[in-house]
Amino acid sequence: MIDTSIIVTYWPNFLHGALVTLEIAFIGTLIGISLGTLLGVFQSGQNKFLRSLVALYVTILRGTPMLIQITFAVFVLPQLGITLPEFWAATIAIGLNSSAYVSQIIRSGISSISKGQIEAGKVLGLTHVQIIRFIILPQAIKAVFPALGSELITLVKDSSLASIVGVMELSKEAWYVRSRTFDALTVYCIIAVIYLLITGTISFILHRIEKRMNCNASH
Amino acid sequence: MLVIKNVTKTFGNKTILNHVSFDVQPGEIAVLLGSSGVGKSTLLRILNNLETKDAGEILLDGQPLQTTANAQQHTVGMVFQQFNLFEHLTVEQNITLALEKVDKKTAQEAHTIALQLLTHYGLADKANQPVTRLSGGQKQRLAIARALALKPKIICFDEPTSALDPLLTTHVANSIKELAEQKFMVIVATHDTTLLEKLPCTIYLMSNGSIIESAPSQDFFAHKNKFIRINNFVAGNS
Repeated sequence: MIDTSIIVTYWPNFLHGALVTLEIAFIGTLIGISLGTLLGVFQSGQNKFLRSLVALYVTILRGTPMLIQITFAVFVLPQLGITLPEFWAATIAIGLNSSAYVSQIIRSGISSISKGQIEAGKVLGLTHVQIIRFIILPQAIKAVFPALGSELITLVKDSSLASIVGVMELSKEAWYVRSRTFDALTVYCIIAVIYLLITGTISFILHRIEKRMNCNASH
Repeated sequence: MLVIKNVTKTFGNKTILNHVSFDVQPGEIAVLLGSSGVGKSTLLRILNNLETKDAGEILLDGQPLQTTANAQQHTVGMVFQQFNLFEHLTVEQNITLALEKVDKKTAQEAHTIALQLLTHYGLADKANQPVTRLSGGQKQRLAIARALALKPKIICFDEPTSALDPLLTTHVANSIKELAEQKFMVIVATHDTTLLEKLPCTIYLMSNGSIIESAPSQDFFAHKNKFIRINNFVAGNS
């Protein structure tokens, strides 16, 4: 049975964990979207060297488990002289991993834009960067917005992997509370509800944004 | 005056344009007439810096037509077959984008120019609507307005009437005539022979990448038998 006293006693732990989870998700998304967009643009471009470099990056980041990437950032990088606090090492690893997936989403969005749009921009005298910035990306991002939303929700859930290196996010706080109360059922039900609240809220907001974008396009 | 001299273009082993030469005076409409794949659109793409020519010269007022994006932008405008309007932008933004980003006009200046053009083409009341809400004819007019915003000297039309009904074809022909009256040099690539009856123009019939016959449209319609190849093409397409 669910023991509600655990919520009353340990709510600061759950709140702290939820906030850290949101922090990881927010920073990870910033890294993932900005770097992933840049990589997606590079991979859709003409420069073969950049395209190959991005393809290699994506292969490595998608082909290895995120858990390994997080532990690499926390335990291997210090051996190479790069030491970061666990929170930042894990968050950056999660963001970099996400960027590999985002780059492929953006690349598919860019490839859905007709060549005629780019040619119209060229004929009007827009530079390559201006064509990407004002013509390709707005349309590409709109086309792949649902996929980007899914990636953001995945990132929220993946943030739980930061617990493996001691970051006190929601899963780690749950582990701590369970070790104090020995009530796994209540603790994991609570964090499942919190995760659902977070991802549900994000889904709702994304849905509203998507609806608004579609509305703007048709009215 | 625009002079196109011996322009040649090949893709692999295929010669798309074979020593194409003609000239266009300010206020003149040159119609490149021919079936699909004869090189009409390729020539327009070369003029618009979307393709490079392999050989030949293109001179504007005696000087080589600038093909770098920056200088070219104010020289040649293009109205695409599929219009290629920016569908994520409003009607007005389709015009102001290049004015602000290329011509470095302020937002207010760009707005004023856009509104003048939209008013002229009967689209002022659509200024804030997305282009997806426009009809085919309205899109065509917006595409012309967008091409004119940067004040080019030459305007190219690629198959301007291919997707339009006869009434809209007449409207497009009137817009093209108006541009010629304003002393633009107008080049139209088309296979639509009905357009010839509506435009006072010089006809250049193309086949296999070459101009095989040319005639002022008044002369052609007055003496059809003198221009056998154009006449055959028109007869075959009517």
